[in-house]
Amino acid sequence: MFIQILNGIVYGGLLYLLAVGLVLIFGLREVVNFAHGSLFMVGAYLGFTVAAMGYWWGGLLVSVVAMAIVGCMLDAAVFRTLRKQDHIVTVLVTFGILLILETTVTAIWGKAYLTYPVPRLLAGTVDIGSSPFPIYRLFVIAVSVAVALSLSAWLRYTRTGLYIRAASTDARVTAMQGINVDRLSLIVVGLGTALAGLSGVVAGPLLSLSPTMGNYILIDSFIVVVIGGLGSFAGAFAAALLIGQIHNFGAVYLPWASTVLPFLLMVAILIWRPTGFAGSRT
Amino acid sequence: MSTIAHGAAATVRRKPLAGAALFVTTAVALAVGVALPWLVPTKIAMSLLAQAMFDALLATSVGFLILQNGRVSFGQAAFFGLGGYSVGVLIARHWVAPEVAVLIAIILPTLVAFLLGLVIARITGVAHAMLTLAVGQAFYEVVFRWRELAKGDDGMSFNLPRHLFGLSASGLQDPAVMMVLAWTILVLVLFALALFARSRIGQIAAAIRDNEERARFLGYSTMLPRALVYAIAAFIAAIAGVLSACYNGYIAPQMFHWSVSGFALIMAIIGGAKFIIGPAIGAVVLFYIKDYAGQFAEYWPAIVGIILVVVTLTMPRGVVGLAATLWKMRGR
Amino acid sequence: MSAYAIEGVGLTRRFGGFAALDGVDIAVKQGEIRGLIGPNGAGKSTLIDVLSGRAPNRGGKVLLNGEDISDLTPQERRRRGMARSFQRTNIFPELTVEQQLRVASWAVAGADIDEVMDELHLTAMADVVAAEISYGDQRHLDLALALVGRPTVLLLDEPAAGLTMEESLSLARILRDLANRWHVTVLLVEHDMQVVFSICDRVTVLHLGRSLSEGTCDEIRADPTVVAAYLGTEA
Repeated sequence: MFIQILNGIVYGGLLYLLAVGLVLIFGLREVVNFAHGSLFMVGAYLGFTVAAMGYWWGGLLVSVVAMAIVGCMLDAAVFRTLRKQDHIVTVLVTFGILLILETTVTAIWGKAYLTYPVPRLLAGTVDIGSSPFPIYRLFVIAVSVAVALSLSAWLRYTRTGLYIRAASTDARVTAMQGINVDRLSLIVVGLGTALAGLSGVVAGPLLSLSPTMGNYILIDSFIVVVIGGLGSFAGAFAAALLIGQIHNFGAVYLPWASTVLPFLLMVAILIWRPTGFAGSRT
Repeated sequence: MSTIAHGAAATVRRKPLAGAALFVTTAVALAVGVALPWLVPTKIAMSLLAQAMFDALLATSVGFLILQNGRVSFGQAAFFGLGGYSVGVLIARHWVAPEVAVLIAIILPTLVAFLLGLVIARITGVAHAMLTLAVGQAFYEVVFRWRELAKGDDGMSFNLPRHLFGLSASGLQDPAVMMVLAWTILVLVLFALALFARSRIGQIAAAIRDNEERARFLGYSTMLPRALVYAIAAFIAAIAGVLSACYNGYIAPQMFHWSVSGFALIMAIIGGAKFIIGPAIGAVVLFYIKDYAGQFAEYWPAIVGIILVVVTLTMPRGVVGLAATLWKMRGR
Repeated sequence: MSAYAIEGVGLTRRFGGFAALDGVDIAVKQGEIRGLIGPNGAGKSTLIDVLSGRAPNRGGKVLLNGEDISDLTPQERRRRGMARSFQRTNIFPELTVEQQLRVASWAVAGADIDEVMDELHLTAMADVVAAEISYGDQRHLDLALALVGRPTVLLLDEPAAGLTMEESLSLARILRDLANRWHVTVLLVEHDMQVVFSICDRVTVLHLGRSLSEGTCDEIRADPTVVAAYLGTEA
């Protein structure tokens, strides 16, 4: 039972790492990045390649840095260029980027499933209660909690964080206050995709690597973002934990419900507050 | 102002095709359909054209939702799959007469979309895209996991009955017959949509898309016209699903997959969702680029992605929009 | 038939602790053109919203020709002869001028649209997409949409917003002329006093969600409380 809850938290933690990136980007650019899942996937493959040479932690670093750079490029080339267009146009372009990334990864690494190793430091299990639990999974939980804590501290206590929160509330008004929203957005989108890279690497040893590994988790994190209240950081955290639990408990006790329940929850929330959560900001 | 859901048409003064011209064009297109078996050289080409027509129908469904409701759907495959699965499962299990199965397969998705439309029509923009994506994937997950229904992710083959509506059903799996049938249906669907756009309810729906609040204060209830548009769009997607399932004699969860929805949306955008015929043109163009790019088939999604990015950035009104603009410039 | 075309009794609307409307009574006689003035935040637009059914009605009653319509939707109010315009231009950008007027006419039993197009000088651009006509013409179109089918009551929220003085006065003259000929009762929110005093029969002054004063144009101009609260700074 307790093990099940922990497993739910592990998946919830991964979802949070992905969803919070979406929330960050949505806050500033009011765009839902459909390519986020494939950035997660690319991050995993980059990390895997370095890890396969024997540098697991190096892979983590490479992936995070590379994805941060990709994020900055994405913001400058796509989000900034298209900021005056209908947001749905930008969404379509990110969908195109998703297709390009998936194909590129298939061309380089192939379609076959790859197994991401667990770092030596975190191999093995510990006994929780009387059952063994992989140390690596505890590490995943620790990473998501650390990210959640530092992110909320950063947003709350730094000037940049304050600006980001302001811009997430209303980017136009913030821009009129003389704050450079484009520079903020560069930081925010870079950070968001860096987190996608981080979660890709962290998720690597849990999921098997394939060019489509990002799709399933992307849809789950969409659900998290919507349930959490499109644009809310704390909401995303709570919703990620909730979906993580539904995912895991459902898989064990109610396989049927676990698949459909998150979708139903999302539909219900959108219908209940179509404007409160999303409508007013699209 | 948005480019896809609104505004794009504003720059062109579209005189609706005059009534007579519409009838003549339709008649010519139908005649071409009858002549197709003599125009298309090989069985393979016929089969490709038939499948291009399925794509065109699905893209038309997505485009119609954009054109008449201003809503971008990432989940239209739900109704494509629902149509295909209804006909496949009902025929395979002999629960009802095959003719009834076909009717149910078309009516059920239409009804589902109508009810769903009543609920989700007020959700706009990016949220609508995410929601429809989720709804489509929910269907996918269900058929993927529900092995008893149609063998889950393996998909299920089924045999067509000997006769359908008094005609030999085996023709449905003959490329020449299916090509003509699908072409004819597409032409009739486009014709019907053109009539709808000029009808009272069509213009009211367009007004609601343009400015829902003002439409309400002019005395219209806005829910029903919107839901009707969802229903019509699903009706078209369901026809595509039924045709595709019958032609292949096979159904699989892939029919519901978001990539199917996504590609249909891309076809609609590339062709020009602001024109009734745009999505169909987009589908055919993409289909033949794909055929032409045969040796690069494994890079196909990336090619589509690049085309999509280029088209959204350089020709927001799609291929047909570009053609219309060029035509106008020529006239000057 | 009631002597009043449109009546609001004890209309109240609160946002949190702030009362945008605090028990406003207003009654406009058949055929009258009533001006509604007051400083920003006085509740003018809110009053139009409550009367037209855009904002929910909590406490208070709305009567149209003596009939209680408080619980009717905007659609039902329009069918009973009430029409309104909006402060921001609120037209159908992608439809042609004629197309949208036709759509408007279907909702009121296929009313004549040629007369409206003619009176508001829109005939020449009947086939033009609304997004492409000039701002001044768009304001005419906005008013025309409300006038299709000759409503009995017309609620106008700054129909001349953004127009030059000349254009405003011209629009006001058209409005005055049509209201007289078609027997339309008008409730008009307008910032420009010159416009208000040039066409209104009577004027109601709102201040902080209450009705401060009501009277003919001359009475309002002379009312010391109004001058103190509002006109003083401008007149």
